[in-house]
Amino acid sequence: MTHNTALYKVPGGKLIRVDVTCSDRIEQVRITGDFFLHPEETLEALEAALTGVPLPLDRAALAARLAAILTQQEATLFGATPEDLVAALTAAIIQA
Amino acid sequence: MEPLRLIPYRHFDAYTNMALDEAIMESVRAGRSAPTVRLYGWTPSAISIGYFQGLHYEVNLAACRAAGVDVVRRLTGGGAVYHDTAGEVTYSLIAPERLYPRDILASYRIICGYVVEALRELGLEAEFQPINDIAVGGRKISGNAQTRRGGVLLQHGTVLYRVDVETMFSLLTVSEVKVSDKVIQSVKKRVTSLAEYITAPREALIVALEHAFSRGQAVERGDYTPAELARAAALAETKYRTEAWIALR
Repeated sequence: MTHNTALYKVPGGKLIRVDVTCSDRIEQVRITGDFFLHPEETLEALEAALTGVPLPLDRAALAARLAAILTQQEATLFGATPEDLVAALTAAIIQA
Repeated sequence: MEPLRLIPYRHFDAYTNMALDEAIMESVRAGRSAPTVRLYGWTPSAISIGYFQGLHYEVNLAACRAAGVDVVRRLTGGGAVYHDTAGEVTYSLIAPERLYPRDILASYRIICGYVVEALRELGLEAEFQPINDIAVGGRKISGNAQTRRGGVLLQHGTVLYRVDVETMFSLLTVSEVKVSDKVIQSVKKRVTSLAEYITAPREALIVALEHAFSRGQAVERGDYTPAELARAAALAETKYRTEAWIALR
């Protein structure tokens, strides 16, 4: 298993950092940063959705899944989009 | 409609400040307190980090310890903020969520609007910059952050009276960015403070904020209740000062 972290600057937005541990799948992921997410607990649901995802990532499908969670939980993410979260995750995985 | 409780400026330590916000959210939620605006400062100076930030990624804890600067995690998202005792004034607005638009950006616009008005009263051409900033001449003078929990909205923000970029940098981590002169100059270009425009003392900012938050509504100058102060003291010890909370992420 490998572990890495990447810092991703959203153009015109906030900073997202992803810490990821992976094997042939994502074993553990932690998202931190200066974004806003309402309600805040939604982050746990987003991280849970990313855990266990096999590699290589299907980026479009993953972004759609995160977007669906936001809609389902009536959540608002400021300073980043689901695509940005996936881009940050990809950056971390590539370096892991 | 219930008058707004306006609690005049006082300073507290960082843990008590965050605990007071939560204690007042509880009392507003329970209907024991009216919607509240409080103005405050931070003694000692402190760094507050956003709810989602990674403590060790953002803060140089050794430098903070050496400088006697407290480190606290907020209930609200957003970035790392340096609260200089003599360099800024902070406000918190705590109210039932139903009094503000459901749309979060719309509510930021309204509440930041009070701060914009205060700065304009002081002669600055301040503007709201979505999502959560206020700027003068395109340079940030106020950062704001909001959370909504259990039907209660908390928005707090700092308004910069005087900013010390070098000190701020020494307390935050620099893992990704070399703290060169160039970087410091670049930050100074993006951030401003009241002292760059007028010679008035910090008290003038406090007065202007009181005026702005009072305008157009019934306001009662009040104080923290003994129950709120006691609850805040407990929360400061059991939550805000704890490793479990500070190092949540």
